[in-house]
Amino acid sequence: MAPTGPATAARSNGPRERVNWLIHVNYVQQNYDHCLALIEEQLKMHNGLCEYPIYIKALIKRQRGEIQDSLQLFQAATCLNPNNINNLKQVGRSLYLLGKHKAALDVYKEAMRLNEEDWEVWHNQGLCQMYLKQYEKAIDCFKQANAIQQHDVTYIQLGKVYTLQEDFRAAIEVYLEALDFSPDNPEMLTTVGLLYLRLGENYRAFDFLGNSLTHDPKNPKTILAAGSIIQDHSDMDVALVKYRVAAVATPNSAQLWNNIGMCFFGKQRYVAAIACLKRALYLDPFEWIISYNLGLVHLNTGQYASAFHFFSSSINLKPDFPSSYMYLAITLSRLDDFDNACSAYEKAIEMEDDHLFELNFAITLYNNDEVEKAAEHFAKFEQLYAKLDDEAKSSDPEVAEQRQALAALLPAR
Amino acid sequence: MAAMGEAAPEVPPGVDPLYVAIVRFNRRDYGATIALCTQLLDAQPYDQAAWFLKTRALTMAVWIDDVEVDEEGVADALLDDNATASMPRPGTSLARPMTGAAAGGVNASVRPMSASGRPTTGFARPGTQSARPGTQSRGGTAGLAAAMGGGRLGTASRPMTSFGRLVRLGTASLAAAASGGAGGGPFIAVDRLDLRKYAERPTLARALFDYILYHDHNPKKALELAALATVATDFGEWWWKERLGKCYFQLGLLRDAEKQLRSSLAAQPTVLATLELARVYLRLDQPNAALDVYAKGADAFPHDVSLVVGQARTCDALNEGGRAVALYKRALALDATHVESLACLAAHHFYTDQPELALRFFRRLLQLGVSSTALWNNLALSCFYSAQYDLCLAAFERALALADDGEAGDVWYNVGQVAIGIGDLGLAYQAFKVAISVDTNHVESYANLGVLELRKGNLDAARANFQTVHEMAPHMFEPFFNGALLAFKLGDFQEAHDLASKAIGAFPEHHDSHELLRQLRQLFAHL
Repeated sequence: MAPTGPATAARSNGPRERVNWLIHVNYVQQNYDHCLALIEEQLKMHNGLCEYPIYIKALIKRQRGEIQDSLQLFQAATCLNPNNINNLKQVGRSLYLLGKHKAALDVYKEAMRLNEEDWEVWHNQGLCQMYLKQYEKAIDCFKQANAIQQHDVTYIQLGKVYTLQEDFRAAIEVYLEALDFSPDNPEMLTTVGLLYLRLGENYRAFDFLGNSLTHDPKNPKTILAAGSIIQDHSDMDVALVKYRVAAVATPNSAQLWNNIGMCFFGKQRYVAAIACLKRALYLDPFEWIISYNLGLVHLNTGQYASAFHFFSSSINLKPDFPSSYMYLAITLSRLDDFDNACSAYEKAIEMEDDHLFELNFAITLYNNDEVEKAAEHFAKFEQLYAKLDDEAKSSDPEVAEQRQALAALLPAR
Repeated sequence: MAAMGEAAPEVPPGVDPLYVAIVRFNRRDYGATIALCTQLLDAQPYDQAAWFLKTRALTMAVWIDDVEVDEEGVADALLDDNATASMPRPGTSLARPMTGAAAGGVNASVRPMSASGRPTTGFARPGTQSARPGTQSRGGTAGLAAAMGGGRLGTASRPMTSFGRLVRLGTASLAAAASGGAGGGPFIAVDRLDLRKYAERPTLARALFDYILYHDHNPKKALELAALATVATDFGEWWWKERLGKCYFQLGLLRDAEKQLRSSLAAQPTVLATLELARVYLRLDQPNAALDVYAKGADAFPHDVSLVVGQARTCDALNEGGRAVALYKRALALDATHVESLACLAAHHFYTDQPELALRFFRRLLQLGVSSTALWNNLALSCFYSAQYDLCLAAFERALALADDGEAGDVWYNVGQVAIGIGDLGLAYQAFKVAISVDTNHVESYANLGVLELRKGNLDAARANFQTVHEMAPHMFEPFFNGALLAFKLGDFQEAHDLASKAIGAFPEHHDSHELLRQLRQLFAHL
């Protein structure tokens, strides 16, 4: 429909609601300039005393990012008609968008007095509570909202609160419930996948991520997550193909370049791996895992000084990751700094009991003629190794090899 | 100046003093030449040979290569009525260079941008540092403020006024003029000369012309002489046309300059006229025409470096990094010691993930005898990124030892960058603080300090730092985006929206800003 001129309906000095239909039509057709012209005319004619045009003008202002102005307009509309819950809700929402969460909560309380059974009010209250870090209250609000009417957004926010509280199981449950309700929301599928990934359930995670990719094949976040799982199963070429899609959308994502680098590392192409990882580090120098990976690659290429540098910067950025200390120790032992290597091993073991730490420590000790101590740590390794299940035992053949070699060399106790 | 008040050298008996003067002139001992000629002219005021030699000596003493130092004055840049189109297509105007990867150029998130919205060049030359007002479609007042601010933010550098450097050079020459003549007055009172008479004598006229233009800095008078002389030679002399073009250019009559230079080139192709013609086109904001002129010149004079480098500079200004690099390489093949090409290539390799190659170029520069803060600083960075850690800190120490107040801030900033690279955030924090204490307007340091504060959890301090940068450097997109992200996380969506829009304005292809804006729009559209 072609927009009718503002003149036709507005000329005659009729009742205030006369052109509201026209404003509405223009608004829903996103014909904003025309709509604003109409509204201005109405406001002039009635000295600014008409509710609906003000309301629409405020909505348009908000969509254009002028929230402060829109708040004032909504407040004006509320003054004109304090009994319309829509006006109150929008005032609350504007306050929320401006980051004034406490004030918004007050407004919503006001709105509750008009109507208890409005899911939106509950939902928005939950949002405000979430920003005020009152997570329990937020959860209550969201549950109330869902009891009245079920909406994707509420589920997503409820899941977010659980994630913030690090209660991933509960979050997943919420999302799964929401997925029953709308099974092909790619955003939600991705989120569930990521949560499963965090819990270490890779197969389930991959199911959901793959499902999400069928709906939205170009979402870089999903691709990155799915690619990392593919990569974990050493299917490097497939992962690279996935990353190629993501690289078009986000060419400057450090995480992406990090994963690409590790793909090349998996394919034993060390120069390419280092180039990719260095680019990732250039883009995000604060990401410890990039430094850690660079250290690994350099350790593999025998450039121990560089490896040491990267491991040490990784530890500087994230001091509570025990594996970094172990690799640092290996690097130090290759650099013939036996004493410091030992203290790095001890630090790693102190933080976590891992059979690899013990094994590597034993190897280093043996190579430096500390046979007694080596045997001690090897025994500890055997204890930890015995506790592992078969799958973990067979995942790295090198461990078994070294175990046999050491067992042959060390005196049995 | 060396010429002032210098005593005339002893003339051995039996040798013609004029001969001694000529020998001295050839040895570029202009002070002695002038003194000798003054003696000769005192004895014989109408000695044409002595007059000619003195004129040449005075000119040569203050001569500069004015093709290289061309800085646009603030008045010219602001009241630019030469631009042909107000909204030119990308790649056809210096005000609107090619953007992003489309031109094989570099990406703003990899290579930092200067205030004028172009990637930083490897070599500071006139015009690369200051923001050209009116570019990047910024508002009029912002452009004016940027123009008045001069080159580096906050330094005492003044914007260039009307004639640019020529004015200051002119003030120096006034002193020369005062003692140039024997009786205290100027050596040649140009205003009282009958130029028509001189125009008839080709040799004298040329010396006189150069004297008026380079020594007196009086392009109007020079133009008069040149015009008369071309008439006297029946419009057939390329030399005069070239000089006419130069005069017109200095007077700002660019179209006339273009005509004269074209005609001169048609009569006799020369490198100088080619360079000047290209310069005219650049001032007219027609970089592609300038490139054509350079290319034609390079065909005629395939071994001339200045033409190749001119092309490369123009490509650089148009953000066509790939082409520029090829040209710089050609320039280096012609002249292996060309400092500008070396520096630009080094910067190119540094920003395309090849710090090892950059290191080799910087080392070559060092071998050529260049020793400056910037070079040592760049060497240090290249060393760091190519894993030569032992040399890195030593190079930084050298850079700091050489640095003056204007540059020390930059060096400390880079020390902070390296500190982040080795994960020593405490050192990084201190280095950025030192950078700011040396140079209170070092915006990059503020930006990084903001990020460090954010990591420490000091949200308010981070916000304050970002805000400082927003005001001082609207050309950087990172602080805008970081500020937007912070505001978004704190729930202040209005500010997030404003800042994200500004980030997009500074770097239109920034994916993360677009993503943030998309989320914000969704929030706004939601009822």
